[in-house]
Amino acid sequence: MTAPPTAQDSDASLIEGSLADPESFAALFDRYSAMLYRYVSRRLGPEAAEDVVGETFLVAFSKRHRYDLAQRDARPWLFGIATKLVARHHRTEATRYRALRRSPVDGPVEGPADRVAADVTASATRPALAEALSGLARRDRDVLLLVAWGDLAYEEVARALGIPVGTVRSRLNRARRKVRAALGDTDPTREEA
Amino acid sequence: MDDLDLIRDLGRGLEHPPPASLGRQRNRLLDATRRRRRGPGRWTLLGVVAAVTAAAILVPAVIFHGRDAAPVATRTTAPAGGTPLNVLFLGSDERNDGYPPRSDTMMLVHVPADRQRVHAVSIPRDSLVRIPACTDRGGKAYPARVGMINSVYPVGGVRCVIKTVESLTSVRIDRVVVIDFAGFRGMVDALGGVPITLPRSVADQKSGLKLSAGKHRLNGTQALAYVRARHGLGDGSDLSRIKRQQQFIESLARVARARMTGNPVQFAKFLTVMATSVETIPRMSLGELRALAGSFGKGGSIELDTVPVRPSRRDPNRLEWDPPKAERMFATFRTP
Repeated sequence: MTAPPTAQDSDASLIEGSLADPESFAALFDRYSAMLYRYVSRRLGPEAAEDVVGETFLVAFSKRHRYDLAQRDARPWLFGIATKLVARHHRTEATRYRALRRSPVDGPVEGPADRVAADVTASATRPALAEALSGLARRDRDVLLLVAWGDLAYEEVARALGIPVGTVRSRLNRARRKVRAALGDTDPTREEA
Repeated sequence: MDDLDLIRDLGRGLEHPPPASLGRQRNRLLDATRRRRRGPGRWTLLGVVAAVTAAAILVPAVIFHGRDAAPVATRTTAPAGGTPLNVLFLGSDERNDGYPPRSDTMMLVHVPADRQRVHAVSIPRDSLVRIPACTDRGGKAYPARVGMINSVYPVGGVRCVIKTVESLTSVRIDRVVVIDFAGFRGMVDALGGVPITLPRSVADQKSGLKLSAGKHRLNGTQALAYVRARHGLGDGSDLSRIKRQQQFIESLARVARARMTGNPVQFAKFLTVMATSVETIPRMSLGELRALAGSFGKGGSIELDTVPVRPSRRDPNRLEWDPPKAERMFATFRTP
């Protein structure tokens, strides 16, 4: 969603600077709040997302003394905090997926034939996907969505959740297996997967 | 499309673009970064009895030391240890320009019977409040009205201020301490200045304050400009100024305590200046003051707050108290 910092200061040096100059921590907000908002809005919808993003940075600010400055990229850290906060809204998230499961699916958009075909596939599978997501164990869903929606690498997910990379892999596999099973009846492309 | 692609696609459909209101969350973060940490560590660092108690105890103690040469009524034990005490501080604006003095700084301080947790609550001067009918010292009567709280002192004097604050808070006020600007300036100078740290440089034309970012030791004139300034510091509101005043008092108390033990000559000078620039009502005898000061012993902490307020419905440029929250804040003032 957002490229990791390159030319600018690394997140680590920014966080280090904020130890002496607290207000400079706002630069981290400017860098990543939009990215986090997009991610959380997918899981919880716009209202809760705004609050969770705000909370995430408040928590991050209060824990900045404990940030591992060897980690230049702070995204996994922020995603980890946001994930914990999302868990507090598990009812909102469940309601969101349930609504999706019931609501009529949007028609395909205009566009090149293959794109339309993909949209048709996607739209057709939505209710089943939503059903599958709401049926996943929370820890499996966290891993799956950090990978699919947060664009984090396995190592980054491991850092975000404070678990070994092997655990990330096994949780992801389990989650994907369940999703594929749920898609079984509706997904014509299943065999290719 | 594999299952991950399908999930990604679902996610794109669920996503919302960041709204402009996300800026509120940024402000929330900034507020948090500006808030000073209030852990117990910080207050124990302040040590024994800090800012307000220094004022509450030392100030009157000195006055009487200076004015009442002979200690009278030494056997009185009225406000000594074991008795809770509520003190109202008024920072008065003696401008010598023909206008009556206003009370721009108001702070209600509760000293509990055990002397352990002193609680000081600042009252925003922009508070729009119900002012009860009252009679000043000269016998002139003023009808009840709704007005700004800092408008009470110039017309009705200390008597009417006491009556107003008592009716607003249901807290009985035992003592009023009035400090004027000149006295404040003199107190800071007598201490040899008070250190503050500025997050960014300040140039406030209105108060004549011009300082770079970083650490400074303010002299009396600068300190007065610093605690009075509304422009160029914080968000320009009375509330941010109150916060600044509280921080300054804290720093001043720290210096005063350091002088008391480390530089008795300078401290004596500080006390003399205080004696001439502060007025307590009703006056306390030296014996009472000694007993009061002694009752603090070595322990204790202080907590600084501000009356919970919200923008007034009558006038958005004024503040009105949040009654349930204010009620809760002052509840401790009514118990020993």
